[in-house]
Amino acid sequence: MKISVPLLLAVFVSSQISSWAQDPRQPAADADFLRKSALEIDKHIAVFYREKKLPVPDVTDDATFLRRAFLVAIGRIPTAEEALAFIEIEDAAKREELVSYLMGSQGYSSHLSNWAFDLLRLRDGRQGGEATNEPYRNWVRRAMDANMPWDEFVTSLVASSGNGWDPKTAAVGYYTIDRGMPLDNLSNTMRIFLGSRMECAQCHDDPFKETERKDFYHLAAFTNGQYQQNEEHMQDLWDEYREDRLERGEEYQVAQLFWDRIYGMSLSGGGRGQIELPSDYQYRDGDPGEILGAQTPFGKTVRMSDRKVEGGGRKEFANWIVARTGEQFPAVIANRMWQRIMGKGIYEPVDDFIESRQTVHPKLMSHIAKLMHDLDYDLRAFQHVLMLTKTFQFATNPNPSKLKGGDDFHGRKIARLSAEQIWDSLISLSSGDPDKKPDRTADNRIFVGGKPVLVGQMDMIQLSEDVLALESEKEVREFFDDFLATVQSGGGKKGAAEDSQTMGMAAIQSYGKDSPVRASELPSPAPREHFLYLFGASDREVVEGATKEPNVGQVLSMMNGYVQRQLVGNSAAHIYKSLESAGSEGEKIRRIYLAILNRPPTEQEMGWMKEEIKTRGEEGYGNIISSLVMSSEFLFLQ
Amino acid sequence: MKHILNKADEPTRRQFMQNAARAYLGVHLFPMLGSSIATAAAEGAAQGAKAKHVIYLFMSGGMSHIDTFDPKPKKKDVMGPTRTIPTKADGVELGSYLPKTAKVTDKMCIINSLNSTQGAHEQGSYIMHTSYSQRGTIQHPALGSWVVKLGGRLHPELPGFVAVNSSPENTGGGFFGAKFSAAPIGSPDQGLQDSRRSEEVSPEDFTRRLSLADKLNTQFHNRFPNADVKAYEELYREAIALMNSKDLKAFNLAEEDAGTRALYGGGNFAQGCLLARRLVENGVRFVEVQLGGWDTHYDNFTAVEGRCKEFDQAYAALLMDLDQRGKLQDTLVVVATEFGRTPEIKKEHNNGRDHHPSAFSCVLAGGGVQGGVKYGETDASGNKVKKDTVSVQDFNATIAYALGLPHDLVLMSPTKRPFKIADKGTPVTKIFG
Repeated sequence: MKISVPLLLAVFVSSQISSWAQDPRQPAADADFLRKSALEIDKHIAVFYREKKLPVPDVTDDATFLRRAFLVAIGRIPTAEEALAFIEIEDAAKREELVSYLMGSQGYSSHLSNWAFDLLRLRDGRQGGEATNEPYRNWVRRAMDANMPWDEFVTSLVASSGNGWDPKTAAVGYYTIDRGMPLDNLSNTMRIFLGSRMECAQCHDDPFKETERKDFYHLAAFTNGQYQQNEEHMQDLWDEYREDRLERGEEYQVAQLFWDRIYGMSLSGGGRGQIELPSDYQYRDGDPGEILGAQTPFGKTVRMSDRKVEGGGRKEFANWIVARTGEQFPAVIANRMWQRIMGKGIYEPVDDFIESRQTVHPKLMSHIAKLMHDLDYDLRAFQHVLMLTKTFQFATNPNPSKLKGGDDFHGRKIARLSAEQIWDSLISLSSGDPDKKPDRTADNRIFVGGKPVLVGQMDMIQLSEDVLALESEKEVREFFDDFLATVQSGGGKKGAAEDSQTMGMAAIQSYGKDSPVRASELPSPAPREHFLYLFGASDREVVEGATKEPNVGQVLSMMNGYVQRQLVGNSAAHIYKSLESAGSEGEKIRRIYLAILNRPPTEQEMGWMKEEIKTRGEEGYGNIISSLVMSSEFLFLQ
Repeated sequence: MKHILNKADEPTRRQFMQNAARAYLGVHLFPMLGSSIATAAAEGAAQGAKAKHVIYLFMSGGMSHIDTFDPKPKKKDVMGPTRTIPTKADGVELGSYLPKTAKVTDKMCIINSLNSTQGAHEQGSYIMHTSYSQRGTIQHPALGSWVVKLGGRLHPELPGFVAVNSSPENTGGGFFGAKFSAAPIGSPDQGLQDSRRSEEVSPEDFTRRLSLADKLNTQFHNRFPNADVKAYEELYREAIALMNSKDLKAFNLAEEDAGTRALYGGGNFAQGCLLARRLVENGVRFVEVQLGGWDTHYDNFTAVEGRCKEFDQAYAALLMDLDQRGKLQDTLVVVATEFGRTPEIKKEHNNGRDHHPSAFSCVLAGGGVQGGVKYGETDASGNKVKKDTVSVQDFNATIAYALGLPHDLVLMSPTKRPFKIADKGTPVTKIFG
């Protein structure tokens, strides 16, 4: 296979045009604006170096830039073809073009979705009961795919209300996954969106900060009162069926479907705006049971009445977060994105906000917060700008940051790839470009006792809509009996295929845990014996629970496990196919290097590897592939 | 204390590793960390310690103390539908979901007076495992890492610290580095995954691969002398030693007879307990096994009953099995959790219980700890500690004490800050026989 360099260049360029040339009025869509914004950031960095009398780091070479850009922007290494095209082009603007290509790629939102899932603790299933996070997961995944502006995304989650199955309101999963623990949910909201740590104040005045327990309850009043829509109409029926669940069999399963998967996944009550102080309230400024009205702890104050229930508290709260906390909301997300792209946040930990003026680089920090705001919270455009900077291209510095938290700006810090980056790279080597495969879709089928029913005739979106609209116990009982009879008779007479077409239902795309697809499309969380988990993927029980800590299981897996089975020992692997057209052994070695380390081999390395082929013949290629994947250079981002 | 500190084992191990590395990697050895810590530890070690191993069973999510180890039979409103049952120990009662545990209570020391400062899962688990509050700027080593650091390994090739079905964020080596991180087991049935050379790969090719990788790594490491990079190189050496160990079968549950496997019961937790027993018999120092699902905000009683089913048989089997093999005397079995749950039952959450760090229960057994006793006391409703408060740090200091490790020895982190295995905790020495 001969690789056509001009053709690939054309791919880079055309994708740039199609992504950004649509609406020149939006700064995010304006290539000049992005370029100018990148330059401004570099100016701030330059001032920093001048003031501190530091030598400016070199700009990194093409190969390092290529690998860094791919992993940072789309979470996988380039294919051999992509690598070759980039390295061989002689074009002054090729780095810029590569960034546009990546930001417009399918892989971009897959990579960002992993981040969002970790942030939101998004698991597919829920503990206990039959409820699922499937529609919520899909909502988040599609929001990332559509590049939903961050302020809109946060508002949709925090102010959510309605049916958990309806794609328009599935964001209610943000609350319903934490059913029974609304206060923990609130702590997490403050932490992930505003970098405000209030976990302590949930139970007592924070000894290290100003936050008091009462402040926390004032805040909790906004989101207090998270109900299930109309559940009172089914309560008695549910109690009856649950009482003798063993005798009832399928009847009970249908009741469970209604209760857990429909009512249980809905959210009503827009937030009371009031809350009672808890029974163990221990300070003098309030009594257990005393009713507090909602009130925000900082920013422009928003209050709600403690006398009457106003409702709409979640909307008030969401609006306060995104629009009335001053610099805090844009700065937190800007710093998070800075960390994603540059490797280190300007301050860290990124979920413990500090004001710009207290960071090591106040001007830069407030500048990027403003940029985030000016770009209308367009995360893709913001990351695009960062990737266009010279700062992003700085050469690698092997030493850890000299600052206690955050970046010392002495070149890019070397860091191990995330579990997802390793996985997504390995599957690219074993099965080719993963971004050509379809995304996983939401499974909206109706399950009774673990089996899908009425497939092609009705799905959970319609069923839940009908059930939640029922207005009395009588209606619920009638509907329940009808539905039960329909299920027991196997549904209507029409052919499933015909119906699914008339109803516009798409085929369901789902993947098993071992499918060679992007980590973002696999079941979440990865099971504990899975490659992803071994390499530190989050189990999504806690916010951003992923780790990059090495352990002995990881290297065993690299030597004997997944890598051997799927890649080195798999003669059908993509990497072997891409060697078929190579003429000489030197060319094969070169392609292996380009595919795995995304650079050509040095002369010395070429010598070693040729020696390997001389001694071991064809077997030698497997040994080379294995050794390159086991090398630290593969596992680390420079 | 020499048998614990293993002075002889360190050089043996290093010698072995050097040989293994030479055999497989050809060249290039970084100097291994010496035994200076273990030697220093000898000075401050506690006397009378009997335990050599720890099996640490972590009930993740926050186990309800009231429904398990601290029932309040007189308080119907606190107990809900949970009843109490008598046990093999006089005057000790348990929640009714633990019938098998009740038969081994004579081996257990139930501590009812735990108190934690952290009421959220992440922070609560973190402090239980590390004795320190979570900070953004440093990763503290897990208890198992401390035990291996202070006490050394007992086996030259098998890992000192193994974690079954556990969260990596709570079983890492922190600033001690990767060689003190737990070797992770995802599924006990599968043992240590990938610990055998693939049959498709000849020993010659296997060696050639490693030697090529070693050349590449040497180059990379010279260019980027970075601690994380180096950690992986060291792990390859560890892994090879492990692969060649004749005791690798310690990880293989298939070697247990069907009767023993059935004694523990099915499921990852139960089989994890059995694996833990095999591992300590083979010289692993610290094994953590996790059982999740204790976060019973919603429908507490159904959920606790379900969790206890997983726990009860396995735990009772573990204590009996260890005892019969004479291994309970030098193995400390710990049941821990990040916090308890409220005496108050939340009706609006389908009879749920919320987090309750101010009073909860943990259990110790074996390793020189007295059996059939309770330590500490909560008030009439299990709300607050009334007597003999045990902080998280005291609890961890007690584990260190049982092992004869110096709980007050200060080690410096790479950033030159002082840390101890149990921070400022003091051991509860009264419970030792």
